[in-house]
Amino acid sequence: MAAQPVPHPSTDKKRVKVYELRNNDWFDRGTGFCTAAFHLIEEGQREPRVVVESEDQPDRVLLETKICKEDGFHKQQETLIVWTEPSNGVDMALSFQEADGCTMIWRFINNIQQQFQSVMAPGDDSLSDDLAMDMPNPVSLPAATMGNLDEIESQMRMMSGTANGREALTKYVLSEDYIGRLIPLVGDAEDLESLNELHRLCNIMKIIILLNDTSIIEHAVSDECVIGVVGALEYDPDFPSHKANHRQWLEDSGRYKEVVRIEDSQILKKVHQTYRLQYLKDVVLARILDDNTFSVLNSLIFFNQVDIVQHLQANGNFLSELFDIFKSPGEDLKRKKDAVLFIQQCCAIAKNLQPPARQTLYNNFIAHGLLQVINFGLRHNDVAVRVGATDVLVSMIDHDPQMIRQTIYRQIHEKQPPLTDSLIELLLVEVDLGVKSHISDALKVLLDQGPPMQPEVFAKANGEYAARTQNRMPTADPQQERFLELFYEHSAAKLFKPLLDLKDRVAMDFTVQQASMFTYLIEILCFFIRQHQHRSKFFVLNHDIVKRVGQLLACPEKFLKLVTIRFLRQLIGLNDEFYIKHLSEKRVIGPILDVLMETMPRDNLLSSACLEFFEFIRKEMIKDLIKHTVENYRDKLQSLSYVELFRFLLQRYDQTRGFTVNLDYFLESSDDDVARRRTNVNPRANVHLMEHISIDQAEEEYWNTSDDEDDLQAKIGNRAPLVNGGSPNTKLVDYASDEETDEAVVAGSSTLASSNTGEATPEKTDNQAPKSDGVTSAIPPPERLSEKRRREEDGEDEMSKLIQHKRRNSTSPNSNASSTSGVIKKKKSATSARDAGGGGPKIAISISSSIKAGSGQPGVDSLAADKTTRREV
Amino acid sequence: MSDLDKAIAQLRACRPIPESQVRELCHKARELLIEEGNVVTVTAPVTICGDIHGQFHDLMELFRVGGDPPDTNYLFMGDFVDRGFYSLESFLLLLCLKVRYPDRMTLIRGNHESRQITTVYGFYDECLRKYGSANVWRYCCDVFDYLALGAIVLGASNTLSPPNDAVSRDVYVEEDIEIEVCNADGDVMSQFRRQPNDRKSPNGTAAKTGPPGSGASGSSGGSTGNSTGAVLCVHGGLSPLIDTVDKIRLLDRKQEVPHEGAMCDLLWSDPDEIDGWGLSPRGAGFLFGPDIVKVFNHRNDLSLIARAHQLVMEGFKEMFEASIVTVWSAPNYCYRCGNVAAVLELSEDNGEQILARSNGEFGRSDGGVARGVMMEGENGLKNGPARRYRVFQAAPQDSRGMPAKKPVADYFL
Repeated sequence: MAAQPVPHPSTDKKRVKVYELRNNDWFDRGTGFCTAAFHLIEEGQREPRVVVESEDQPDRVLLETKICKEDGFHKQQETLIVWTEPSNGVDMALSFQEADGCTMIWRFINNIQQQFQSVMAPGDDSLSDDLAMDMPNPVSLPAATMGNLDEIESQMRMMSGTANGREALTKYVLSEDYIGRLIPLVGDAEDLESLNELHRLCNIMKIIILLNDTSIIEHAVSDECVIGVVGALEYDPDFPSHKANHRQWLEDSGRYKEVVRIEDSQILKKVHQTYRLQYLKDVVLARILDDNTFSVLNSLIFFNQVDIVQHLQANGNFLSELFDIFKSPGEDLKRKKDAVLFIQQCCAIAKNLQPPARQTLYNNFIAHGLLQVINFGLRHNDVAVRVGATDVLVSMIDHDPQMIRQTIYRQIHEKQPPLTDSLIELLLVEVDLGVKSHISDALKVLLDQGPPMQPEVFAKANGEYAARTQNRMPTADPQQERFLELFYEHSAAKLFKPLLDLKDRVAMDFTVQQASMFTYLIEILCFFIRQHQHRSKFFVLNHDIVKRVGQLLACPEKFLKLVTIRFLRQLIGLNDEFYIKHLSEKRVIGPILDVLMETMPRDNLLSSACLEFFEFIRKEMIKDLIKHTVENYRDKLQSLSYVELFRFLLQRYDQTRGFTVNLDYFLESSDDDVARRRTNVNPRANVHLMEHISIDQAEEEYWNTSDDEDDLQAKIGNRAPLVNGGSPNTKLVDYASDEETDEAVVAGSSTLASSNTGEATPEKTDNQAPKSDGVTSAIPPPERLSEKRRREEDGEDEMSKLIQHKRRNSTSPNSNASSTSGVIKKKKSATSARDAGGGGPKIAISISSSIKAGSGQPGVDSLAADKTTRREV
Repeated sequence: MSDLDKAIAQLRACRPIPESQVRELCHKARELLIEEGNVVTVTAPVTICGDIHGQFHDLMELFRVGGDPPDTNYLFMGDFVDRGFYSLESFLLLLCLKVRYPDRMTLIRGNHESRQITTVYGFYDECLRKYGSANVWRYCCDVFDYLALGAIVLGASNTLSPPNDAVSRDVYVEEDIEIEVCNADGDVMSQFRRQPNDRKSPNGTAAKTGPPGSGASGSSGGSTGNSTGAVLCVHGGLSPLIDTVDKIRLLDRKQEVPHEGAMCDLLWSDPDEIDGWGLSPRGAGFLFGPDIVKVFNHRNDLSLIARAHQLVMEGFKEMFEASIVTVWSAPNYCYRCGNVAAVLELSEDNGEQILARSNGEFGRSDGGVARGVMMEGENGLKNGPARRYRVFQAAPQDSRGMPAKKPVADYFL
């Protein structure tokens, strides 16, 4: 080896390994010595080549490759040159033993490539664009001097116009540290007060940053460069008479608040770097950022944050020191505040992390005593700290409510007051709106036991909270049960105390704080009623909540009236017989009518809300309420009868007055289709009407337990007497019709016909006791068939009706809701099964008939879709 | 100078007002907006504006071009916030003006006036930056819930009033100018004379639907002596669930913009060259074709629907034989789209030239007397009101500071 003739004196330095990429692995083709030179080919033509001769067998050539413009050699790191062999497309690499050798060879290659570049005039990009994909043309820019700025700017602008130009420029800027060379010019130009040059520098800097290269941007925000870079960007030629003050902002070292020293200098660097990146993104470049650079900046920020948070949460000493701040009573209050804010920021960043990483962070925090910190923060007299603490709490709850619930269970177990109680106390005294709304959200989530929500009511739930809970899995946790039990035993009354206190109050004038308190409480109440069925029902009943809330209808504040109406509207929206009955008993319909009468004929939010309330009653045909309303408030309705809706209600009632006793029967049974459309038909509905008929307990029991078939059977049975009684058919059926008349008549009569013919044991009893017979009669097998057929027929009618009218039932999305009665499990499931067959498709069909193209799920898409539009513009 | 005037002055200088003032402002605004119907009635003359999107300086330019409130009666069709860097100042200024001059300023809701959307597109972040907490965002979102969903412009003339003092009104009467486009300085750039009205009405009786459910003020009959139909203004467009304007009045609007349903559609839909209804690529609302607009306008006695919601490079775009127009008021949208913006001016109808313009339809919409009468025997859609578009560009770069977000002051991480 030593005896080998050496073509160049620096042979040693060119010792190199040749690699070839095979199956994604770098295959070692051998070690040798590398030369790069022009080789003579025929007729005096010379061709630049890179040749590697084997170390062991000097005659063997390990590699011989031509440098031509297509192949794009790249230098990577100090000792690596990679390229794709033009002849066969194989990826190759030369790994040099020493950097010097690599540099020498690279210089030669680079020179050749630059010659190609200069041959290829920048003008004919159109031709070269495709070829250039894998071959960036190395460039050289004029030296960075004040005099050359003009030239530099125009060259850069030209190059940044093409993909390969950008790539080449990127490499050049990095390898030559061009940014570093430009930076001194900013100061020089400022000294000379040469605005022109400053504007040029700004443009050049913009071009460099918009090259969109991670390494360049990282370099630009490094300690050495950042001030110079933003300095140049202060002189935006778009705003010739303005100068930004980025340097002043970023140089202010007071911006960084160090609560606990971060020992790791790399991490500390990242902290600063991240802040600068954010500043760059939000302030310096905000106006000129394109989507690509925007996402490059974002991902840089993201990865930094991941590193930072990972580092901190794994750093036991750091965490101990952080949380010890709260343990020492003598600690500076300012530092405690900062520590809360620090944790708040950590949690805010954690929101972007992957769930497992977030989980570890919270676990570590909790292990070090995060909950005490929250407790401390929530009672702090500085609003910022309270905001911070609630923020932390809410972000944890958002992440995993079960985590916090476990703590609460433990507190209960240890007979400590649970966290929820402190939250309630705070909610009632808190003056800051943000904290208040956070706390009320937190309460909702913690007390959520997660049964399936009703889509309709849910869509209407206001606010940010709505989106959050949407996809939660239902869980029936005995601990949560116990927790809820305790809550309703002790805490609920505390929470709703302001509402309960209305009891002895006559004057309904409230301070702003009180009034806003009510809106929160009622919102929470609405949520509880949706979520905690029997518990909340009992609570509502026990504390006469409907009456209390109803009192607010008399207050002068219109928005409180609105809140009240919405609350009551939700109750009827649940289609729960209990609440409907309860509303009648509590006589709150009257006050709503009063509000409406006061407001009408003005067309405002209040009248719209009231009208919607009654429109819903009409649309859903809530007979008990129609009956109650007309019987008790006929005068009021009459005074409002210039509104078609109320005329309608009166009319409907009057038309069936001859059957007062039977009204409910009739309504309940004859309009099966309506009932089915309103998918959560509650079989218990009958209970109410039975009160009129006096039915004994045993039968009631039977009703409660009867299965679906019985139920249907009974309904059919109920219908029979009416038909047989020769009651005016059209009228009756008409009643069943929702809004449409003609079709409904057809539908209704076909219904009647088929049920009559298909029925083996039609009830012929009189009105007084139709039930007992219907119940005791056996169910003949054909019954089911006929029943089924009848349903199908109904279904068709329904569809055609919908198609003809292009009217969507989903205006009352309630119709999709599943039953909430929770009275009879079996029936419930049967009902919802029926809904699935009847209600669901019908609605889908009606939508597709009206839009012709099926229905989408606008929910989440709306955001995504809007994002796309943004891209488009 | 009242507090409100002070706040207006401060906001006009693009400086946010303190949180406590925002709270008070929002409270007042709520009291005011609660009294508005879902569809507000506005009388011409009025200047109709489209999306603003937080481009405060361009809003100032709009006021320069369109006239300062309260001298000009304004109707803004939503999307005040998001995207631009001054959503807060823009919205609060508009709200202040609304509270100060309730009858000269109408604000209706756009799809961006929603909690969900603002958290994604910038308004939330902006509030957080500018106040350090999200409270102001919450106050504003509360107000969003109270904003009306649409407006009906009554009494728009089919003859333009002169754009400046140098022009006599007679010219417009004689020439029968239907559309005029002006530049930012009020110079006329182009004019279009009214075409003879030979447009056929859609077949079928299309009877005016019975009395509205609410009975609250009639739909769109137009004011006395007005021979053009009313103009419906809404942010997005029509909904398959809404066949009459009165149906809009039956919505309970005080809620976050839902993901579906009539209220959502009004704020999200777009017109498109299709038959009937189509799925919207936005994932909310629908696409609707010329036939839908024709039937709707006919049924509701409308001559035009004005809407915003879509960027149009020329600032305005009339579609479907001028039965619907998109107005866009954010020039150089997102500070880089390169579009111009426009506002739509409708002149006041002062009654005198009605007779001259009577084309057999006169007396139909005489303020309610004949309302409810079937429209059979009537022929053709209503004449559109005369429209003046004032087109303007982004505020000169220099007139504003560099648009930028406010940086986060302190950082711990």
